Amino acid sequence: MHISRELELSRRAFLRRSSQLAAMGAASSYALDLAGIGEAAAFSSSGGYKALVCVFLYGGNDHGNTLIPFDPTNYARYAAIRGGIDDQGGGIALPRSSLASTVLMPAGGQTVTDDITYALAPTMPRLKARFDQGSMAPILNVGPLLAPMTRAEYDNRSVPRPPKLFSHNDQQSTWQSSQPEGSQTGWGGRMGDLAQSANTNAMFTAINATGNAVFLSGEQALPYQVSSSGAVLFRPLERGRLFRSGAATSALETILTTGSGNILAADYATINDRSIKFGSFVNDALENAAISTDFGDGNRLADQLKAVAGMIAARGSLGVTRQVFMVSMGGFDNHDGLIGRHEGLLAELDFALDAFYQATIELGVADQVTTFTASDFGRTLASNGDGSDHGWGGHHFVLGGSVNGGRFYGRAPHVSVDTPDQVGRGRLLPTTSVDEYSSTLALWFGVSPSDLPSIAPNIGRFASSDVGFLRSSTMHT
Amino acid sequence: MSEGYEPWLNREMRQANDFTAQQYFEARGFDQVDDNRFFNGTSTGDYMIWSQLLSGGSAVRKRFALALSEFFVVSLNDINLSWRGPAIGEYWDILNRNAFGSFRALIEEITLNPAMGVYLNTRGNRRADPRRGRVPDENFGREIMQLFSIGLFELNQDGTPRLNSGELIETYTNDDVTEIAKVFTGYDLDYSQTTFTPDPGNPSRTIASVDHVRRPMTADPSKWSRSLNDGFHATEEKQFLGLTIPAGTSAEESLRLALDHLVDHPNVGPFFARQMIQRLVTSNPSPGYISRVAAVFANNGRGQRGDLGSVFKAILLDEEALDPAKVADPSFGKLREPMLRFVQLARTFGVRSESGNFEVRNLSNPANQLGQSPLRSPSVFNFFRPGYFPTGSQSAANNLLAPEFQLVNETSVAGYVNFLERAVDTSAWFLRDLSLRYSAELPLAHDAAGLVEHLDLVLTANQLSASVKDTILSALEDIPVEQNSPDTDKLRRIHAGVVLVMASTDYLVQK
Repeated sequence: MHISRELELSRRAFLRRSSQLAAMGAASSYALDLAGIGEAAAFSSSGGYKALVCVFLYGGNDHGNTLIPFDPTNYARYAAIRGGIDDQGGGIALPRSSLASTVLMPAGGQTVTDDITYALAPTMPRLKARFDQGSMAPILNVGPLLAPMTRAEYDNRSVPRPPKLFSHNDQQSTWQSSQPEGSQTGWGGRMGDLAQSANTNAMFTAINATGNAVFLSGEQALPYQVSSSGAVLFRPLERGRLFRSGAATSALETILTTGSGNILAADYATINDRSIKFGSFVNDALENAAISTDFGDGNRLADQLKAVAGMIAARGSLGVTRQVFMVSMGGFDNHDGLIGRHEGLLAELDFALDAFYQATIELGVADQVTTFTASDFGRTLASNGDGSDHGWGGHHFVLGGSVNGGRFYGRAPHVSVDTPDQVGRGRLLPTTSVDEYSSTLALWFGVSPSDLPSIAPNIGRFASSDVGFLRSSTMHT
Repeated sequence: MSEGYEPWLNREMRQANDFTAQQYFEARGFDQVDDNRFFNGTSTGDYMIWSQLLSGGSAVRKRFALALSEFFVVSLNDINLSWRGPAIGEYWDILNRNAFGSFRALIEEITLNPAMGVYLNTRGNRRADPRRGRVPDENFGREIMQLFSIGLFELNQDGTPRLNSGELIETYTNDDVTEIAKVFTGYDLDYSQTTFTPDPGNPSRTIASVDHVRRPMTADPSKWSRSLNDGFHATEEKQFLGLTIPAGTSAEESLRLALDHLVDHPNVGPFFARQMIQRLVTSNPSPGYISRVAAVFANNGRGQRGDLGSVFKAILLDEEALDPAKVADPSFGKLREPMLRFVQLARTFGVRSESGNFEVRNLSNPANQLGQSPLRSPSVFNFFRPGYFPTGSQSAANNLLAPEFQLVNETSVAGYVNFLERAVDTSAWFLRDLSLRYSAELPLAHDAAGLVEHLDLVLTANQLSASVKDTILSALEDIPVEQNSPDTDKLRRIHAGVVLVMASTDYLVQK
């Protein structure tokens, strides 16, 4: 299988697109107004505003204690593998009784592998309620794949594996961009490339509310970074005084935007310039877009999502109809002390996602915003004593008014460390690829089927580009 | 520098740290069990490292130790044990003690250090127990290969990847991880000298004395907090990276064999050399530069491999580092790390600590502080990755790496200037324990041109461009100062000058 060549082909399609953009005079995507670029004619901006929000769980989420088998047979398998004693928990197994109030009963009597009944972690009651309401769906065993792969094909290497499996930084990058660390563009940014023609202000197409990451970088689209409290302004410039001198303030502005020959200096000056140019504009827009939803106090993910909600509320002033956002939380690399810490993290996640969804209801855009989780990798089902180690596939969540929720998507793995749906110690061999996941999101967002390979370079090797968890995705025109 | 670089460097490198972290904790009483309950927090760890970086001698040694702390990462954010300050202090002392010693000795000390043991889970790691489904923790085994020694794929000695039919060659498989993980089993904290004192805040509980977070972890179970007869080391055969450690080998001997084998891997020299050059000199060293340093790593000229003193000298004295023409090369240099900018500000202008403790805390907030704080990396992957470049940038278009730019975005650039404005006069609440004296600058303040020349020299080694200097000079002339003006007026001009220089990209990029 000549996979690298196909990756190269889709990259060349990008370069072609970029050079077309350049030829049209859109040399700088920092310019506020990139309206009128006709390149992305294949991109559908119908249906009003739409946004995708990536919630990245850094460290590799322990899916085994996020979505837990509850039926007696499968719970017993889970407990045995994770060092639990009967139904009491122990090792890294949660007690069965703690799961009773978060059991997920899918609508229409959907059954999954081995008739597993899943419960959410006990600290996720809000997402359980969203599941029951039909606005949340778990997607089972998602992970990077270059092509569908069986355990035998994994073992005999007849199908290529994604490079550098089980490595944090590389799998973060692979999830975000289809390639290991060093990748230049992520699929959020590549959707931004296609979508920015729909926006009056291209700069606000890809918004990052967390640390720098490749996900939101496109060939043209650049992530614009906001803090949890909006744009951070250069105080001396806002005040017009640096140590009470107006002249020093003007000098500061000149100096900040001067790059003088060195490439790194020029890049730094460019970011200073962007920050100076757009900060006040963003904050003015945010000021007129208040949200009353309670995002709590001290939940850092909720703080980021509140900033995202603010940007969505300000979409009219910002001049955007298509946006891709990224937020994140860390702390998921629990090789030790999984019990306790992990439930705490999931409680924060549960609260933050629910508050954000509530805010989209308040803003009247619940059907137009889809939130999804991503993570470095899933973890081993096997215990290393009081934690779990790096794995591959993992379970994820999508949340939003367009989510065809209240049921599961993808294939449930056996609760096992020796069946062929895992590659040892319960490291799941993914059955839904990140490309299928991203394609489903992209189609809903407005990407045309013919452009999907630019978002998900391996999608052509999978049976369908639409896993079906988003309601309107098949209605795409 | 009339004597030349090398004699000066030799002299600097001979200086031991004259006031270690351990001495700091002892002198400040931060290692005592009392009502302050210092055993319970992390702030004394921040105070310690700021005191180390902002004051005292052996600055060259500390600069290298700081670079090492970004390669062998342990973060105060995430070491879950009591006495976190002294624990990370011992880690810092290890890096200082070994900064010009042997790589092999250093990697063993950091492997057995309690802070690392807790951070990457070697502490309490046990052999497999099939009955309970338990397998050894793989965290340290994986990261010591990926991050601390050989990296993910095979390298030529000049740091370029080796290729097999055009493909990268991975250095290890997941089976290697699973096998080497067995080496790091059976170790736990050494309580053999530890005494216990009632917790003043909760007398039903006792607090172990600080020594157990300083001594290397031990595989001797009689020294653990709960003394046992038998340990938990995996004694079965271990096979990884072409090495077989026979069944029945002790924990200590397994560790020795594994570390010898890792350090002898041909990747270590170029892998380590490239990152240290990036930390100290330039983000994009030439293959020739890397290969010259890697050659010194392989053999210091006296037959020793991994002699760090020789490696660091090779980095600083390389023709590429010293070539004056490089200053004008648009692709040379590195972005100064935010924490180093602050250290430079403080040391250059005579920082003092009111309390003597250097009570500066975590400055990681990018919106109003540095967006970086020493020994506070967000993960074992450091504050930024060696292969990072900012997307949509000229660096990327020119295939140039810019690791430190992983911290640079619209928020952090504004946050830095706002920090600077309140750091030069230490008016920020989080710097209230510090003051800056500006004793060399006050006599110059009435002479704006002289002041600019002086700041250019002490902050950028005369690398301000003429236009930036002119811009700064006109701004400072707008702040009227006479020779007999009060110090407050003089300081206002000095503060403005320092902010303007340190905000300039001529300063921000070290060349």
